[in-house]
Amino acid sequence: MAASTEKSQHPAFYAVVVMLVIMAVGPIALMFINSFKFDVDIISGTSGLLFMPTIQNYETALCDILPYEIDHLDFCALKFGGAFMNSLIIALVSTVLTLVIGCMAAYALVRFKFMGRDTVSGTTLMVRMVPPAVLLVPVFGLWNNEFCISKSSFLGGLIRDTFGGRGDVCLAGTHSGIILIYIAMNLPFVIWILQSFIVQVPRQLEEAARMDGAGPFQVFFKVVLPLIKPGLAAAAIFTFRIAWNEYLLASALSDRDTKTVPILIVNNMSEFNVEWGVIMATGVLLAIPPIIFTLFASRQIITGMTAGAVKG
Amino acid sequence: MPKIKLENLTKRYGSLEVLHSINLEMEDAEFTVLVGPSGCGKSTTLRMIAGLESVSSGEIFIDDRAVSRLEPKERDLAMVFQDYALYPHMDVAKNMSFALRLQKRPKKEIEDKIQEVSEMLGLTDYLHRKPAELSGGQRQRVAMGRALTRNSSTFLFDEPLSNLDAKLRTQMRAELAMLRQRVQKNMIYVTHDQIEAMTLADKIVVMHSGHIQQQGTPEELFKKPANKFVAGFLGTPPMNFLDTTITQSGDQHYLEGNGFRLLCDHTTEKRLSFADSKEIVLGIRPSDLYFDSDAPAESAIDINVVLSEYIGAQSVLIGDCNGQKLMVELKSETPIALGQTLRFRVNLDAIHIFSKSTELAIG
Repeated sequence: MAASTEKSQHPAFYAVVVMLVIMAVGPIALMFINSFKFDVDIISGTSGLLFMPTIQNYETALCDILPYEIDHLDFCALKFGGAFMNSLIIALVSTVLTLVIGCMAAYALVRFKFMGRDTVSGTTLMVRMVPPAVLLVPVFGLWNNEFCISKSSFLGGLIRDTFGGRGDVCLAGTHSGIILIYIAMNLPFVIWILQSFIVQVPRQLEEAARMDGAGPFQVFFKVVLPLIKPGLAAAAIFTFRIAWNEYLLASALSDRDTKTVPILIVNNMSEFNVEWGVIMATGVLLAIPPIIFTLFASRQIITGMTAGAVKG
Repeated sequence: MPKIKLENLTKRYGSLEVLHSINLEMEDAEFTVLVGPSGCGKSTTLRMIAGLESVSSGEIFIDDRAVSRLEPKERDLAMVFQDYALYPHMDVAKNMSFALRLQKRPKKEIEDKIQEVSEMLGLTDYLHRKPAELSGGQRQRVAMGRALTRNSSTFLFDEPLSNLDAKLRTQMRAELAMLRQRVQKNMIYVTHDQIEAMTLADKIVVMHSGHIQQQGTPEELFKKPANKFVAGFLGTPPMNFLDTTITQSGDQHYLEGNGFRLLCDHTTEKRLSFADSKEIVLGIRPSDLYFDSDAPAESAIDINVVLSEYIGAQSVLIGDCNGQKLMVELKSETPIALGQTLRFRVNLDAIHIFSKSTELAIG
């Protein structure tokens, strides 16, 4: 049966499949291959697949964390290690917080009756419609000028004494500032996704749990949450990837110590020189964590979680 | 002291009142069945007792303690749901022990309890299966097991068998009846199925449109229904109702309707003397009509057979008497043919008389 259907496929079918594969894998393959080339090879464009591979680009990219001296570099300008940690902290913390707040908000919106529920539910997604670029200017202003603790105040003074730096202590340039805006950006969509998952949890299950003596939080954490795990995983992948890849807001709100990997990559471009090899190598390194995260999280996406709960 | 007492229990959804001042008492270790057609308020009553539905006014007492403002967990009740409501991410053992684990009971005690209950319900082989891997009957058993593991004083059942197929339902009904003999606890059972109600109940409470129509033992309700609704609701096939006028000629009283005229005996005359008007509704159970072609016209009804439903040993005839539909139960071997007009003797001792205006039973 399978053989006969395979045979009957039209050649055009394969053409389309091949095209799709090239479109999907092509850029990644290109990035991967170029990351092992010298800039000369990349720019000349003649060599194609025939070139002398080098790990020099990776050495340059990872110069601040490699344990040995790198011959071709006299000064390590690129702080990939630090940026990577920044990216990791920002993406993970914002993902976790978004999920925690998101699942509770979604649950409340689905299950509790309160005034303005439908309006809140409807407008959450509208916030998502606002392009991040629109947020950039007001948020930049607020983070730099409004959400600040005066350096002359006790707390502000304490922070300045402990961590150093000059001026008032502001949200801008901190991990928290970026995490906060990522949460705000991702929350509406996460709430929206999770709502549709929570709606599918049969109400009788919650009632059964209440009859079994569970309080509201126990109902939520022991019954509802395990059942919306696929939703949480989908939302986590989504949130993590956005936080990981985001460039615009991070470029404006981070400072030298808090910049993330995407911003680091662009730092390799100057008006005189574009270090393609290093950019490609950093790109490859940048792509690894989301791939691992997605593989891990997508394992949680199982259909039929609520099967067998209720009749029907 | 009644175990559970409902006092003027009322439920309103906005301006719509669905439960009108229910008063009900349930004794300890009594199996009470709330029965009625869909939307009669029986499930709402149960859910209010459980604490899943708020009480609009009135009060619920459990062991003389007012509980209507308490959370379900503070009422110490166990409930079996219509749709099983098993936790799909837990296996059978975890499902049954959920309540005990919430109470942080010692591990040994939980294991012993699961062992005991699963043996009682024949679930020992399935303890590590997920609900999705169980059949409907097994799921229902797990749902019951979940209630049984808790040492609640009262068990609530919300139409627990209505999702099972007919054969399984009969089997589970019998199991439930046996279980009930072993577990001497207070049980409240909601169903729309009057056979379940009749077979399981110590006490049946018939409800209709938010009112209690009648309560009593199954036998009381079957033999002496308080009104036309209860009479028509209990018993299969349902009771026949005929609009009838009380007439008199000479000393004799007759029950006269469209196509029949029955001569009253002394007892019936006495009963009829309580009637509030000459117009009454006569109720005859299908089993109280006897096929008897030799019966005199004055004690029988002639019925034109429209349809015969063969069930096995018994057949149910659906007949017509001058435009009035009548059902008769008779032995299947009785030779009858569709379209025939047959004579059925009426057992006057078994007739029910209802007022036409109030629909209450007379006599």
